[in-house]
Amino acid sequence: MLEIRSARKVFYKGQPDEKIALNDLSLTLPSGNFAIVIGSNGAGKSSMLNAISGALMLDSGKILINGNDVTALPVHKRASRVARVFQDPMKGTAASMTVAENMLLAELRGKKLGLSRGLNAKRVASYRDRLAALNLGLENRLDTRVELLSGGQRQSLSLIMATCDQPDLLLLDEHTAALDPRTADIVMQATVRAVEAFNLTTLMVTHNMQHAVDFGHSVVMLDAGAIRLEITGAEKAEVTIPKLIGHFGMKTDRMLLAS
Amino acid sequence: METVSTIISNFIALVPVTLAQSLILSFIVLGIMLPFRTLNFPDLTSEGAFPLGGCVCALSLAGGAPGWLAILVAMAAGFLAGSCTAFVHLRFRIHTLLAGILMMTMLYSINLRLMGKSNLSVYGTPTIFDGVPFLEPGFPVSKIVVAGLLGLAVYCLLNLYFRTERGTAMRAVGSNPDMAEAQGISIWAATIGGVGLAGAFSATSGALMVQSQGFADVNMGIGTLINGLAALMIGEAIVGKQTIRRQLAAPFVGAIVYYQLVSLCLAAGMPPTDLKLATGLFVLAMLALPTLKRSRGPMPAREAIRE
Repeated sequence: MLEIRSARKVFYKGQPDEKIALNDLSLTLPSGNFAIVIGSNGAGKSSMLNAISGALMLDSGKILINGNDVTALPVHKRASRVARVFQDPMKGTAASMTVAENMLLAELRGKKLGLSRGLNAKRVASYRDRLAALNLGLENRLDTRVELLSGGQRQSLSLIMATCDQPDLLLLDEHTAALDPRTADIVMQATVRAVEAFNLTTLMVTHNMQHAVDFGHSVVMLDAGAIRLEITGAEKAEVTIPKLIGHFGMKTDRMLLAS
Repeated sequence: METVSTIISNFIALVPVTLAQSLILSFIVLGIMLPFRTLNFPDLTSEGAFPLGGCVCALSLAGGAPGWLAILVAMAAGFLAGSCTAFVHLRFRIHTLLAGILMMTMLYSINLRLMGKSNLSVYGTPTIFDGVPFLEPGFPVSKIVVAGLLGLAVYCLLNLYFRTERGTAMRAVGSNPDMAEAQGISIWAATIGGVGLAGAFSATSGALMVQSQGFADVNMGIGTLINGLAALMIGEAIVGKQTIRRQLAAPFVGAIVYYQLVSLCLAAGMPPTDLKLATGLFVLAMLALPTLKRSRGPMPAREAIRE
């Protein structure tokens, strides 16, 4: 369960170009809930995700994950609870290391690191099984450096890495936006499979209104650093693209194009 | 033809001495490679950590410490120097190169303070090279054996370390710091530990050098960095850097080949004063080569360095 309580973050405070990124934003996401986050550019989606992952420290407010206050924890100390897939496939993987080594880093996320051998036969075998489920042939490329993979393969790997040890919270930051439609579809299907299989509490940021309609238990719309709208339950099941776009008010042109 | 044979015989006569020297200096090449290649942190501290190791070792020897203990003390001092550079970079967000220059400059005064004068002779004190059985002390073979075995041990240990969970995490910090942090790896711990370790190796090199030549000098570090870089480039050109094993072997192979090349150039009559120019041009050429190869295609990505 994720709780954000009146989170506030102001950039360039007191200067002419002051920008309120998060304006007393509050959000509760029950365990096992898959929420889609939409909103125009600059609405605060990335700031919210950065605040949850620890990359952005709040000016005031609290963030709780499964009841634990993580507001003051740096990124690496939240890692045992939060996993994240970025829009940029380069960001979520270590390019100069092999596929298997990246899987190892993910498996060790937030755990105490020891001096025992990292890649042992048992681990390599389990990585092969997990990657085989993607049907991208990655299971045969365990010793390939990640920089030699395509963007789609890297993003699929990032996803497997993020979901492999069932984080308390999964953050997906427009993770299919940089992919071609077919690969985006493969990654999205893999996402849904993983989220459903492990019943992961998930926040997915997207500009793709079709995804917002098709997936998730609820839709959260951000505007000017606060939640403008939350659609849940039966209402979410009946939501359509025109309805969603209607809520964007003045800023519809870009969204129409994006859908 | 006679000159050629003189050059060759001069060169061959120097091979064992040069080999001993290059094995000792291979530790500083390792100290340059480690942060540069595994942490993406070009570290200039080595030019100060090398004489620091030498000075601390000389002081320990003069104080009656056995050779191995003097090296351990030097290593600790080098670790401290390296971790200070990493701390300056991390805490004050100072560029890695500038942090190294600051540390290197300050270490010069520290070294002078430590010794109280610009050089210190420890000739005649027992050294780590004395302990080899069946070999006459002082003869280069004992230096080759001791420095070579030490190098082999360090190579094997590092090879094992970089395959452990912690070693893999350290490499991830160099490969993609943001991703490493998101996997729960502390950038601070990995950087301070890694750059510190590199400083320790540079200091080891200085300590071995002092025990080998019998004196420490505050100026003994001048030029070691560019020599080390040249050696690293040669090593990487020969053994490659695709795997951990190759990347770790590169400093040792590079040091051995580079110093023999230098010896050959000197035997061929190159004035020693031109050595730095030649070395600098060589490093420049090695770094420029990839951009020249693809001059017709798109510009290759610039070497990404932590800032």
